[in-house]
Amino acid sequence: MKRLQLQRWSSSVLSSRARTGGRLQRHLYSSNRFQSTASNPLPSESDLAGEQSTASSGSTPFLKFTKRQLPSPPVQAARESAKLAALHARLYLPSRLPLETLARCLVDASADPDPQFNNTSLALLGNDLLSNYISEHIVCTYPRLPLTVIFAAVYAYIGPKTLAAMVREWGVEHAAFPGGEVDPGLLQFKRVAPGTDISAEPIRGTTRPNEDQTTWRRSITSSVVYDNEYGDPVMAPKPPADPSGSSPQPPVTAEQASCSLVRAVMGAIYLHAGRLAAKRFFEQHILSRHLNLSELFNFSQPVRDLARLCARENYEQPVAKIISETGRKSRHPVFVVGIYSGKDKLGEGVGGSLVEARSRAAVAALKGWYLYSPLEVRVPSSTEEPGAAPWKPVYVDLGEVIV
Amino acid sequence: MRTSLRQVNLDVIRLQGSRFLYVCSVCRQEARPRPFVARQFLRNASDATPITERVRRKLWGTDNPPGLKDPYGGEGVFEKKFKRGQSAPQEDESAEVTRAAGTENAVVEDALPEETPYEPATTWEGLQRVGHLGRWSDLPPSEADAYNSFSSNRRLTKLGHVSLAAHQTAVELCLMHLLKKPLTSICDVAEHEKPVFKLIWNCKIQPKSNTEWDSALVYPDKETEDALIYIFEQIGGAQQAAPEANAAAEDAEAAELEDTQDRDSAQEPRSIPFFGYKYAKDRGFLALSLNDPVTKFAFLKRFSQLTGQYFPDPILHSISSVGQVIDHIKTELKPKPKKLADHLVGDDSLQSLPNVKVFVKKQKPWHKDEELGRKKLIDAELRERGLVE
Repeated sequence: MKRLQLQRWSSSVLSSRARTGGRLQRHLYSSNRFQSTASNPLPSESDLAGEQSTASSGSTPFLKFTKRQLPSPPVQAARESAKLAALHARLYLPSRLPLETLARCLVDASADPDPQFNNTSLALLGNDLLSNYISEHIVCTYPRLPLTVIFAAVYAYIGPKTLAAMVREWGVEHAAFPGGEVDPGLLQFKRVAPGTDISAEPIRGTTRPNEDQTTWRRSITSSVVYDNEYGDPVMAPKPPADPSGSSPQPPVTAEQASCSLVRAVMGAIYLHAGRLAAKRFFEQHILSRHLNLSELFNFSQPVRDLARLCARENYEQPVAKIISETGRKSRHPVFVVGIYSGKDKLGEGVGGSLVEARSRAAVAALKGWYLYSPLEVRVPSSTEEPGAAPWKPVYVDLGEVIV
Repeated sequence: MRTSLRQVNLDVIRLQGSRFLYVCSVCRQEARPRPFVARQFLRNASDATPITERVRRKLWGTDNPPGLKDPYGGEGVFEKKFKRGQSAPQEDESAEVTRAAGTENAVVEDALPEETPYEPATTWEGLQRVGHLGRWSDLPPSEADAYNSFSSNRRLTKLGHVSLAAHQTAVELCLMHLLKKPLTSICDVAEHEKPVFKLIWNCKIQPKSNTEWDSALVYPDKETEDALIYIFEQIGGAQQAAPEANAAAEDAEAAELEDTQDRDSAQEPRSIPFFGYKYAKDRGFLALSLNDPVTKFAFLKRFSQLTGQYFPDPILHSISSVGQVIDHIKTELKPKPKKLADHLVGDDSLQSLPNVKVFVKKQKPWHKDEELGRKKLIDAELRERGLVE
């Protein structure tokens, strides 16, 4: 059974443990700064030339760095950290995911700008996996959801606040400041200076055209094109100032660092233990969180929306009828109003006035429409399993009514 | 010379009344009329008689008033001192003159120490002792003041040695029972000589009943029996004076023997307890009963003397046989429990656990700071403020 197809690009995040590199090669690179959880590339000519130059200058290439001078803990420290082992066991991570990679997941790019030692690549992969899995889950489970609700649901499942809360629940502690002497079981990032207003400046440099026109209307549909999976603006990729990637990174908040940790763990599991383990991790840690989707709706004019919806779906015009009432002349009357389309009752609502009860009934009818879920939910990624049935496209509704 | 400010203020107020509400103190000083009374105390440098003396003379109406030369206390301490410093040689001369006017004896006595020049003592040695003479603390140490420990100072910790001591004690007490001597008098002999100890070691104890101490001893042969009984008759021998000449001669021989053995034992290192014997040959002494309080006291006293092991009161109370004594010592001699850290370090199951880390050293708060990466920040901040070098 072929479980894991390793893409070519993923070799940059593969650990040297998983990849059986030559012993000589590993030995050569074992004690200088080149050691990484990534597989060691064969020394290029420029590297060799650089080594020769350092050797000729009289300084030994080994033992150049003390622990304090390193921006992040050395790789061999991962085996000695009790915190890291405890985190590995607590998260019930597969044993194929080595401690060294988990230690690398805990190093944010702001702590160690070297992409061989920070979790940027793993987090990138993990973020794509997470958004892919969660969006296919939401869309296939609730095919009629409005786009705003989909954005909100994705944000609620894998948004930065949720991921930061997950990291807190995992019991990951933050290092005060990154460094080589820090325990590798701590989340390491360079903190924002206290008192900094994070949302002070307007976001610039997004992929959206005419971003400086703040008064222009931004439709929700355009978010599909220009924005990320939460409907937030995406920053355009900047050309790297330093091609080696060792330029100092700006400090980040604890929330951002926690996000990158969860994403990196997801990516690391995918690379080391395969897709099944990654999906299991996703189900156990992301999907297991309860989200009440019906609370994400926010209708301004539910009665009008329902009328438009019925018109679009060629139903009879909805009619509100009093089902029961009590205390009409009293201080606290209660009306139970049902909305009917022909003989079908679309929804029912209770309110202190007739208008309130009608709008509540309309909201119930709209939620009943939008929150429809098929009995058998199948997501596209399930066809990746060996021997899976061919994909039968699911019916995705037209979506919300546009008034 | 100015009078005090308080006086000045009073003067001003008296003179000017309440016409001025406020006058600054400088103006008061300047504007103040010279107080007539204060002028009396002014003294010319040439005037030798002080004002008090002049007043006194005026009171008595004569230049030589009766009474003390200076009834007001005279000059101050410092003035006296300065004056003395100036006129010291004169005073010495006057003192010599007065001495010369004294008796001749005094002159002779004073003349004697002048022959040997005075040298200040540097130590207390040879000086005359003064104060509190006649108390016990001033008396020289007597024989009773010296403290000799009842028991040997060493504490035996090997179980074989303890059983040897118990066996020896049992044999000795059996003999003392047999000879009808005071049991505790055996303690006068702190340590037997080697041949005597060997005789004791060869003896066995087979108690026929628990209470019979005098008949429990079994000798290996007749010679041993005679020798031991003879030796033990010497101990606490006030009752039997050993009048026989034969015995006296043997006594002398024994004394010689003891002398030689003393020399031997002096040459031998004293650290070997029981002359290198490791264990007691016989085990029968364990069954001996200690219900008789006199026997029990004698046994425990002698045993403590030999081993250096002592018994707390509750244990003392509960002991009823020699075996229980040995049992108690066994519990005492258990190795001290190890520290928790030693246990943890030695535990292989903990060492193999990845999420458990046993530190060699105690973890201090700065270890935690270092682990969190906080230490270098604190260090840098302290350096920046110049609080550490």
